[in-house]
Amino acid sequence: MSSLVLSYPRHSLWADYIRAIGGAVLCGLPLLLFPVERWIGLVLAAGFVVFALFFIRTFLRQRTRYILGPDALAADGPWGARVEWDRLDRMKLAYYSTKRDRSGGWMQLAIRSAGSRTVKIDSSLDCFYDIVEQAALAAQARDLELSHATRANLRSMGISVAGQEETV
Amino acid sequence: MLNYVARRLLLMIPTLFVISLIVYMIINMPPGDCVTSQIEELLSRGDADALARADELRALYGLDHSVWYRYFNWLGGVFRWDFGLSCQDTVPVKALIGERLMLTIVMESCTILFIWTVSFVIGVYAATHQYQVGDYAASFIGFLGLAIPNFLLALVLLYVGKVYFGVSIGGLMDPEFIEKPMSWDKVVSIAQHLVIPTIVIGTSGTAGMIRRLRANLLDELQKQYVVTGRAKGLSPFKLLVKYPLRHAINPFVADIGHLLPEVVSGSVIVSVVLSLPTMGPMLLSALKTQDVNLAATFLLFVAVLTVIGMLISDLLLAALDPRIRFGAAGEK
Repeated sequence: MSSLVLSYPRHSLWADYIRAIGGAVLCGLPLLLFPVERWIGLVLAAGFVVFALFFIRTFLRQRTRYILGPDALAADGPWGARVEWDRLDRMKLAYYSTKRDRSGGWMQLAIRSAGSRTVKIDSSLDCFYDIVEQAALAAQARDLELSHATRANLRSMGISVAGQEETV
Repeated sequence: MLNYVARRLLLMIPTLFVISLIVYMIINMPPGDCVTSQIEELLSRGDADALARADELRALYGLDHSVWYRYFNWLGGVFRWDFGLSCQDTVPVKALIGERLMLTIVMESCTILFIWTVSFVIGVYAATHQYQVGDYAASFIGFLGLAIPNFLLALVLLYVGKVYFGVSIGGLMDPEFIEKPMSWDKVVSIAQHLVIPTIVIGTSGTAGMIRRLRANLLDELQKQYVVTGRAKGLSPFKLLVKYPLRHAINPFVADIGHLLPEVVSGSVIVSVVLSLPTMGPMLLSALKTQDVNLAATFLLFVAVLTVIGMLISDLLLAALDPRIRFGAAGEK
């Protein structure tokens, strides 16, 4: 298997930038425009910090290339990390949705190999399925215990990990 | 998770704005305003200057401006903790709501804690002892709780307390502490008086939650993985706690957001019956007299608490059980 160089699509990054700037403006504008009661100001400032962190995270994503290879997944960027498949010691696949019926959400894969930083990628990344499949194979080879939610999410993507069927 | 938190927060802000706008406009919709009833009262007393005073009062409350101007003026004031003047006593709304808001939050929090604690214990017991005496008793209590209106239970308890025990269980503190600053004795008195309202307001919520938890847990306990675990010789406690209980508990977490508005709206009539100095009775009177600033402020607080409750429940659910639901759309 040759290496694949992946990145987040431009439209997904722009959507996140708009969210981050929109949220920061909504929380920050009242602080600039009105004399605000102290504790209300603290709540708004906390909201502003969340959106500022979200903006930074989006910026880091924009500057990061993910290189998927047969041996490892490397996040090449300002906050880079490398996850080696044969040393994988953590894998979590979560599904998030902001809708009440949990439709229209996104998956997030968190993987880490011994001694490295955790790499988190969202399903909007190109070839997300291939990365998850590769991670699942590595988890199977390493006999890693996966959480109930991770197994359910893998099944929903049509990926099964031997030895990780419904057990108690 | 940061992505999730940011998206949820971003939904929260316009939601609160829209709720505040709708609430303010709806309270303003009936014909007349809060001055109308005051003037009618003055006219009925034969006050010749009543009509002249009407213009003064309208100017004082800002009713001579358009509803949009008043709304944005009120909304701007919210950031400064200034909710304008109440028509009822011509005092600032923040002076009226201070202690009532605090007592309401304390009472509703105790009620929600009561609902969770009692329904969790009884719900788990009823599901794990299906068709036994305890299960039938829990179901009976559950149906009783659902069938009896809260205010009726309050009236019955008031009667029983007075006639059989000679105690008055109305109010949220002993009379000597009313209008007095907060002190340790006052806190103790509030804690003692909280018991009855908590039980009265929490009964129907508890009954509903017991039924839901029992049904969910029974569903989980009949699944294949539980049978497998039992066949493998797992202890009943470990078998219960490891997966079925974790899955069955999701509605508990998901209900945090729904519970709050239910408890607040359900407590209004009970608060009137039990003479509780909470937001409910004041909200009722504010709505009757079209005291827009006071009513909109109360309802904004309920909306804020509800939206925060929803946010907490969504964050907890996302952290506890980040599974995709079959039938929901998958990836982006």
